Amino acid sequence: MSQKNDNGNLFDPTGMIKGMRDASMDSWAKMMVQLVNTDAYSQATGAMMDAWLTTSTPFRKALESTMTQVLANLNMPTRSDVVGLAERLTNIELRLDDMEAKLDEAQRAARKPAAAAKKEPKDAA
Amino acid sequence: MTLTQNSLPGPAEIYAELERIAEGAKTLGRLMSTKAKLAQTPKELIWTLNKAKLYRYAPVVPEAKRHGIPLLLVFAIMNRPYVLDLRPGHSFVEYMLRHGYDVYLLDWGIPGPEDKNIKFDDYAMEYLPRAIRKVKAVSGSDEFSMLGWCLGALITTIYASLRPDDGLKNLLLLTAPLDFANKQAGGFVRWTSDQSFNADKLIDAYGNMPGELIDYGAKALKPVENYVGNYLNLWDNISNPKVVDAWHAMNTWVTELIPMAGGAYRQLINEFYKENRLMNGTLTIRGEQVDLRKLRANLFNVIAEADHITPSCQSEGVMDKVSSADKELFRVRGGHIGIMAGSGAEKNTWPHIETWLAARSD
Repeated sequence: MSQKNDNGNLFDPTGMIKGMRDASMDSWAKMMVQLVNTDAYSQATGAMMDAWLTTSTPFRKALESTMTQVLANLNMPTRSDVVGLAERLTNIELRLDDMEAKLDEAQRAARKPAAAAKKEPKDAA
Repeated sequence: MTLTQNSLPGPAEIYAELERIAEGAKTLGRLMSTKAKLAQTPKELIWTLNKAKLYRYAPVVPEAKRHGIPLLLVFAIMNRPYVLDLRPGHSFVEYMLRHGYDVYLLDWGIPGPEDKNIKFDDYAMEYLPRAIRKVKAVSGSDEFSMLGWCLGALITTIYASLRPDDGLKNLLLLTAPLDFANKQAGGFVRWTSDQSFNADKLIDAYGNMPGELIDYGAKALKPVENYVGNYLNLWDNISNPKVVDAWHAMNTWVTELIPMAGGAYRQLINEFYKENRLMNGTLTIRGEQVDLRKLRANLFNVIAEADHITPSCQSEGVMDKVSSADKELFRVRGGHIGIMAGSGAEKNTWPHIETWLAARSD
């Protein structure tokens, strides 16, 4: 892959810069991995997420209820209407899949005696 | 650009270097603004349910020479499964087809707002058994092998423990996050174990876990490598078409972010990461207790030694819990995705999987 200039050749400035870059990247990467694996980082991200969710939720809920009212006044389906419909479709799909399973089973069962009957004359002979 | 000991670069050399940089910048722009063609292996859609799809890949080996037991691939629920069929010439699916397997792939699909209540219960006991039924019906075999990767491995392990008599002959687990007893192992466990991390609040707000947040979490485990090193490495090799094509394919896959069903995410954090219910024997799926001792299928458990997403300790413990008489733990050098999709996969991982499976697939 990438070639490193590990020989410190003074007449290869690009290689030297690359080598320095790679070395600093390595130590930076190690430092960051150590940082994200500390309890302090876990607490900080958890607290930030919690603060964001706590402050944004009232606004989101207000927007949702306004939108629901607007859509209802316009005689248009709301998000929950569409979601409900999609869930019903999935339930219908499940029933269809059950029926398909039974059909497969019946076909398989029907094939077995037919295959056995075909074999019998040969066996008898 | 290298200066020899006796000469400084002339205008021609400087011009050539500038041209090379301009060409590289053009290539970089193309890579960042286009998508690579992935998942090219011919396949047929044989079953769907909600967003889930089951594909059968077109066999390339005559039936008489094929292995009798079909192989079902089950990938994780928060990424697209075509990493298993990344690009022609570098595809696990293609490799297994060439070695005479009848290969099926279960694609969980992209959950919408209506799927926010889907849990592991649904994946393991509603979707997967139905897909398996279809695999059996199409292949005509009552037995089958199953390969689960990442959370796909978690789902297949739950299924294999709950339905040990369903014809599962071989279970292959790749980088399986199953055991969360060690709360110091890896960033995910640390972050989610913290009291202030509230998965319920997150899912109440978003419905499903947004793909962007999952992506941020995965990348933040190794921020410098993912946000800087990845691009620097590409730049260093920008004139190497092999590296460029591989990078483009992987970047296309990585940047297709999909959400994770809210119910499943809530369960993953609370019941698996925080309470370690699967290993403690307290996990209940659809009212049935999941007992790993009931798992009897032949087991091949692949661990990536440099996996920062699923540290090895999360996959090792299952070996002592299951009842499989034939079980093997296999360690590969590489990362969570790299062991199967990296440039060394075809040499270091795929042949081992194939050899193990071949001896148990007829």
